[in-house]
Amino acid sequence: MNIVVAIKHVPSTTDELELNEDGTNLDFDEIDFLLNEFDEHAIEQAVLLKEAAGGEVTVIGVDVIEELDGVLHTALAKGADKAAKIVGDIEPPVSSHTQAKWLADAIAEMNPDLVLTGVQAVDDLDGQIGPMLAAYLDLPYVGVVTGVSSQNGSVLAHKEFAGGVMAEYEVTLPAVLGIQAAEKPPRYAPISKIRQMAKSAEIEEFEVDEDFEYEGCELRKMAKPESAGHAEMIEGDPEEVAEKIIAILEERGLL
Amino acid sequence: MLTIPERIIFILMFLGLGGLTTVLFYGIYRIIRAGNPAPVRENIILNIGQALIDVLLQKPMFRSRPLLSTFHAFIFFGFSFYFLVNITDVLEGFIPGFALIYGGQGILEPLPNWPINLFNLVADVLSVLTLTGMVAFLVRRFIMKDKRLKFNEGVLLYEPVKKGWVNYDSLIVGTFILIHVGSRFMGQALRLAEHGQPDPFMPFASLVSIPFTGLSESALTAGIHITWWLAIGLILIFTPYFARSKHIHLMVAPLNIGLGKQNPRGELDPAIPPGLPEDAEPGVKYLQDLSWPRLMDAYACIMCNRCNDVCPAHSQGLVLSPAAVEVNKRWFINDHFVDMAFRNQFPEAPLLQWNISPEAVWSCTTCYACVRVCPVGNEPMADIVDIRRRMIIEGEELDSGIQTALESLAKKGNWFNKGSRARARWTKGLDFKVKDVSKQEAEYLWFVGDTASFDARVIPNTQAVARIFHQAGVDFGILGRAERNSGNDVRRVGEEGLFEQLAEDNAAALKKAKFKKIVTTDPHSLNALRNEYGPFVQDQLEVLHYTKLLLALFEDGKLTVQKPLTQYKVTYHDPCYLGRYNGEFDAPRRLLEILGVEFHEMPRNCENSYCCGAGGGQIWLGTTPPGERPAENRIREALSVLQPSSNGVSEKQLLFIVTCPKDMIMYGDAVKTTGNEGVIEVRDIIQLVEEAIQPPVAAEAPAEAVAI
Repeated sequence: MNIVVAIKHVPSTTDELELNEDGTNLDFDEIDFLLNEFDEHAIEQAVLLKEAAGGEVTVIGVDVIEELDGVLHTALAKGADKAAKIVGDIEPPVSSHTQAKWLADAIAEMNPDLVLTGVQAVDDLDGQIGPMLAAYLDLPYVGVVTGVSSQNGSVLAHKEFAGGVMAEYEVTLPAVLGIQAAEKPPRYAPISKIRQMAKSAEIEEFEVDEDFEYEGCELRKMAKPESAGHAEMIEGDPEEVAEKIIAILEERGLL
Repeated sequence: MLTIPERIIFILMFLGLGGLTTVLFYGIYRIIRAGNPAPVRENIILNIGQALIDVLLQKPMFRSRPLLSTFHAFIFFGFSFYFLVNITDVLEGFIPGFALIYGGQGILEPLPNWPINLFNLVADVLSVLTLTGMVAFLVRRFIMKDKRLKFNEGVLLYEPVKKGWVNYDSLIVGTFILIHVGSRFMGQALRLAEHGQPDPFMPFASLVSIPFTGLSESALTAGIHITWWLAIGLILIFTPYFARSKHIHLMVAPLNIGLGKQNPRGELDPAIPPGLPEDAEPGVKYLQDLSWPRLMDAYACIMCNRCNDVCPAHSQGLVLSPAAVEVNKRWFINDHFVDMAFRNQFPEAPLLQWNISPEAVWSCTTCYACVRVCPVGNEPMADIVDIRRRMIIEGEELDSGIQTALESLAKKGNWFNKGSRARARWTKGLDFKVKDVSKQEAEYLWFVGDTASFDARVIPNTQAVARIFHQAGVDFGILGRAERNSGNDVRRVGEEGLFEQLAEDNAAALKKAKFKKIVTTDPHSLNALRNEYGPFVQDQLEVLHYTKLLLALFEDGKLTVQKPLTQYKVTYHDPCYLGRYNGEFDAPRRLLEILGVEFHEMPRNCENSYCCGAGGGQIWLGTTPPGERPAENRIREALSVLQPSSNGVSEKQLLFIVTCPKDMIMYGDAVKTTGNEGVIEVRDIIQLVEEAIQPPVAAEAPAEAVAI
């Protein structure tokens, strides 16, 4: 099976986020990027599928800040077979829609049986990349997938719904799946293997389609949240605290 | 004494069994040599000589279990002397009239009596001591059933070990020693009985001879023959069994100690054995991947389980037993001896299936206590780190906490998943600026380490160190955002590649920085920088623990105690990586003395300090194993020595003093989980220093006495 994993380099939210001068977005010079957490699961799921059913895994992403190589080397160290990146005159931020278009252009050339991608990302919480990728490639899409197994000519995708309802889809190939979680936690990539990949691996490059222009909504303002109130700390021994909580709940007509 | 047929039988046995033993010992040699290369041992003769002297003085034994070690010393001295005794026994058998009693008979008669009398006296006393020691050991094992000889439930044991072969072997060896020594002793007693008079230089044998003096001459002669064969013939029968028995430790142990680790304790052997190609797989998976000293360990091990006693994981009741690593290894080799020794066939059975379980591998804190206490120079910890190395490279599933920490370390250079810009943020709480040594020259580069830089519980201490250095006029700076985790624990988790990456990054930052010496508040960083950065930096780094620098500041008068801290009753915990690994015990104790606190030593101190349970990546574990945690055990130990006397006269505040950021966290938690909040408090030594150097009245301006 020819599996392609579309990945996304996203701003790290573990550090304090700095805004740019005009307050329209993050200050991308002051911020670290890392691989979207859900894409880590997509890579793991692809490698698990390959290990179970054979095939080849290619990982591809848009090189937004020219630091994608490390991410690709890590994917190779985890068991991916090929790596590719989309390069060109790219300035962050690059919208999910644009990334989907660029990725679709490159992936179309690869004739994949299956395209996996993270179901969402910190800068794509509404999960746009997967469906748009499917639309551009004209393939079926299943999102929020928590496990994939291979059958003859199709795959079985486990999907989660709200309220703990689970569904199993038989998806004819080729198709795009948005991965919520791989069957196993993403494996650890030993640094010496990553370094080995950094020395030996070749990364295929695709040029961006500069003519494509995304005409959607525009981000006008970004600001840090302001605190709008304070928590009240209830003090005393457990009995007293419990009594005070009951009093407050009664006072507000909640009991 | 011996008849002609007896002599022929003896000579045939000697040749046959001696030949068999030689072949078996050669097999053992071949198995050990089949191991992977280890760092080259230098001055072998000198080291083995030193080892022999140490063994002769029984020094390695008395590191623990003093009573049992005394019994062992009885057997050891007895057995060593019996090499000579047995030679004289053979002479007695083969030279007519030759006998040692009464100062020498037969051809010995012309010789002066005193050396033979002395020899007889020593042999007589040692025979009794050996028998005493041996009986004590057997009673302890089989009647008292000492729990320390058992393994925790769930420890992976190789089949014969599980079936109790360690006990059977002990019984065989014990019985052999009792019969061998007992018979020789009886033989001499019977000789005395023949003459019917005691020998003042053989008091015990003379005593035993009394009931036999009435026996007929033929009965006594038969007795002398039988005891001779039971003493000397038995050795010949027993020698081939050495190859299978743990008793071979008496030959291998001194050799193992003499050929032991020569690099510093704090420097792990390379992940890829020296001399193997660079792309060889790091670490070990199968027995044959182990280096030759690790294979020799199996033959040196006497299966005493002293390592279990000091192992924090085993003491917690976990499934790790450093002893089982060696014991399993030995029985596995025994089971495949002929294949491995003579057919170059090594079984394809991963160590994780029969030697040690993955769970046990990930329970090791790398505290080095097992290696330190081992009387025969074994290093089970080295096996464990090597197994981890291969597990990491082969992508075996990791504990989620360890994996998260490693990924954070790989991406951010610290295990707090913080950006490198946040590393020096703790300096914001100071009212002076800390130099950045990549820009400004400073005498001391302070390597702060992750925990002291990022953990909110430790940062106040970090700031206190900075204030005191500043106040004492120490010219210091930090690497700031260029500093990375030193990699000490990363390496011990087995992630060699990540260790190299961190070390290279730090080495590059150190190269750019302008400084003379490194000072660090973190013993783990101290260990890595001092012992493991050799391949990454050009010049050997001079690395100081902050307690040493503080002590120097007091001795030079740059810091002075304004207010002796007599209100505190304290004990001190030696961090593994400062104490046992790097031999630094004095500075913290000297400081406590200067500060004027009432100091009490815990039973387990200095070399024998007990691990807090954080090292070797354990602090990152995503799960909490059951049982009393090492830190909790340690807090109880501290309270046992600090508890005020029952009359409650002493009402001093009890403190548990630490000099390692990880200890601050581990013991801070342990005080809470053992319900001892308000009873004892954990403090970094810097907190005491800061309190003591302030002038008595807090409201006054900073003391003029402090030299800036």
